[in-house]
Amino acid sequence: MNRRKFLQDISMWSAGLLLSPPIFNITPGLFASSKKIKLVVAEGMNYDSLVKELLEPLGGLSTFVNPGKSVVIKPNMGWDRNPDQAANTHPLIVKSIVNLALEAGASKVMVFDRPCNEERRCHYNSGIRPELEKIKDKRLKCVYIDDRKFIPVTIKRGQSLREWAFYKDALEADCYINVPIAKHHSLAKLTLGLKNIMGVIGGSRGKIHKNMGQNLADLNTVIKPALTIIDATRILLRNGPSGGNLKDVKRMDTLIASSDTVAADAYATTLFNLKPGEIGSTVAAHKSGLGEMNLSKMDIIKV
Amino acid sequence: MNIKPPYLIKHILRLSCQVICLVVFLILFRLTDYRGTDEIGWAVNVLFRMDPLSALTAMLASKEFIILFIPALILVVLTMIFGRFFCGWICPLGTLLDFFGKYVRCSNKKIVGVRYIKYILLTVIIVGAVFGLQLSGFFDPFSILVRSFAFSIDPVFNYVTCLIFDSIYLHGPESLSNLTEPFYDSLKQTLLPFRQSLFALSFLCFGMLLAIFLLEKITRRFWCRNLCPLGGMLALLSLGAFVRRVPAKTCKDCHDCAEICPMDAFGDDGRLKNEECTLCLECISKCPLKISSFKVGRPKKKISFDLNKRFFIKWSIAGAVIPLVSRVSIAQKIERPFLLRPPGVKNEQEFLAKCVRCGECMKVCIKNALQPAFMESGFEGMFTPHLVPRLGYCEFNCTLCGQVCPSNAIKRLDVKEKQSFMIGLAVFDKDRCLPFAKDESCIVCEEHCPTYDKAIKFKEVRVLNKSKKEIMIKQPYVIDDLCIGCGICENVCPLKGNAAIRVIRQKN
Repeated sequence: MNRRKFLQDISMWSAGLLLSPPIFNITPGLFASSKKIKLVVAEGMNYDSLVKELLEPLGGLSTFVNPGKSVVIKPNMGWDRNPDQAANTHPLIVKSIVNLALEAGASKVMVFDRPCNEERRCHYNSGIRPELEKIKDKRLKCVYIDDRKFIPVTIKRGQSLREWAFYKDALEADCYINVPIAKHHSLAKLTLGLKNIMGVIGGSRGKIHKNMGQNLADLNTVIKPALTIIDATRILLRNGPSGGNLKDVKRMDTLIASSDTVAADAYATTLFNLKPGEIGSTVAAHKSGLGEMNLSKMDIIKV
Repeated sequence: MNIKPPYLIKHILRLSCQVICLVVFLILFRLTDYRGTDEIGWAVNVLFRMDPLSALTAMLASKEFIILFIPALILVVLTMIFGRFFCGWICPLGTLLDFFGKYVRCSNKKIVGVRYIKYILLTVIIVGAVFGLQLSGFFDPFSILVRSFAFSIDPVFNYVTCLIFDSIYLHGPESLSNLTEPFYDSLKQTLLPFRQSLFALSFLCFGMLLAIFLLEKITRRFWCRNLCPLGGMLALLSLGAFVRRVPAKTCKDCHDCAEICPMDAFGDDGRLKNEECTLCLECISKCPLKISSFKVGRPKKKISFDLNKRFFIKWSIAGAVIPLVSRVSIAQKIERPFLLRPPGVKNEQEFLAKCVRCGECMKVCIKNALQPAFMESGFEGMFTPHLVPRLGYCEFNCTLCGQVCPSNAIKRLDVKEKQSFMIGLAVFDKDRCLPFAKDESCIVCEEHCPTYDKAIKFKEVRVLNKSKKEIMIKQPYVIDDLCIGCGICENVCPLKGNAAIRVIRQKN
């Protein structure tokens, strides 16, 4: 074997590897079957300390956030609604996660969402920006979406979507933490962790609604959160996803955390007295090998 | 320039007053935006609230006393005492002409016989207002100024700045953009508007201001001397002002004052016309003998004025006829289904009477949804705001337009009132709406509908799709009693071109 042959072989083999995406499809499934996915559920009235308690069984946030790494925290702050109306992630929950990430030594913590209502009103009325402004740390950046940063991504494992624009900061984050609120959604039935990815994509999001379940699964093959924390401190039972009426809000004082978004979604579904199988995106994502939806196959820890 | 102390101090005093007022104007302009609270503190509407022309015409046309215009009364009183100081010391348009007119100017020709045009405009506008037609917005200097700033200058300023930084960011080396981006960020938080706004009539509104600047080519302050109806109004008010120049006439051997007067306020006989003097003090600063000054004098017994009653009667008739012409325009009868007025506007006639076309509601609209009308509501409705849902919708919790309106044409609503105020009614076009026309699931409109009890609901229907397969689909419909016509449904409808749901104006 001469040098030329060696290089040829190398390039052939590596090209072969690159051209074989199905391998990636199988891997998560294999992991899931060999090892039970951990899911933590925490209940408590003190939202300041609840996140910390929630993450303890998973080893604390520092298992996910390594010192010097960049962190993106993606809450739902897409609606011009106040915290009581349960359309956005609770500001105190976001704040605690930010604080923990800063403590873990993150080099940069970014918080953003592409909103449905006017962005400034969402940031302020959701209570998230005012709450984060109290943290005087230069590493924290609660930013408005910058349209220049949407870059087209080929969705290699997409079954329904082939290409979509994603937010650069979300793609480049060393650690992406998904912090949705659990609420009713007229078309998707519920909006949970998988649907929260809609806040980091560009383009005309209305088009996602056709074949939504599979589309969401496809989008979630691009960004895999290191951790999903579902805020079910208050859940919205009707008139979602925007809500507004306090009568539609049920207080649950619950948080759910898992490194598997599908598992977290599956568990959160039960809070609405629904079955994971009823949610299109959960089923589609599970089929695509993104995670576990069968509650009996999870290691559920309650704190 | 040959100015010596103590006259220099007076010169500087006026100059700094002009600069301060201009800067305050620009700051107020920038502050006319959402800044994290539902209530807006200061806005550029103070300029209009102290504008006696807007005040008088809005009140005459609507036959209603508008309390917001109290500051205008103060300006009236001050003008009756001091004369037309406003034009020389405060007016931001006058200041801009003083500062930037010199780049246009090439001569200082004497133009005779056009000075009275401002009185014609003033008479026509005021008499027109008595007969219910609001014309001040076409000629009021603040309306022209703020509109051109809001619709063209500010958006272009933002566009150019962003273009520079964006091209560095997108195409330049990263080392360079790492330097420019922090600077860009701080600019965004200070000098630049929050977003790039787009406006209808940006060309026209810019052109109107440009024309005023180009007129400087003929003489200094051509607009202020000859055309400005507000200037004309203040001129009439200052006929008997107490503060006057001494001596009233130019000296026999020296006519420097008359030569340098930016307002050309000295008559052929060398006498200063009080109503034309803006107290700019230039004649004093530059007086070679230093004998002239401004002093408080007793009220004049006889007020001399070039124009007579006949002049005003003649033009009053014209002012009365123009509203009649607008009465026979088709605008009176035609239904304009897509002419949506801002929340707080109940009666179209009253709105047209009160609206001074200042453009502030459109400037402050956080979704860039309010746009100036061109002919959508007839000639008399030009520059009035209307909602264009495809561009932006009316944000459910936002009440800013009513807060900045200087004439109460858009009523100030509290959040609760606003949330139930009906702007229009959303109507589906089932021939195009995806769940009806294409058997595709969508209901993006329902998802965004902001009313607490959603005005758009859906029913689940079993349909046969194109491949003869039976599927369940959610088909949306509107509950008329709940819809407020905010237009978010029309805004987010994923169809290309016109939306499959459109907000239609209801009769008022």
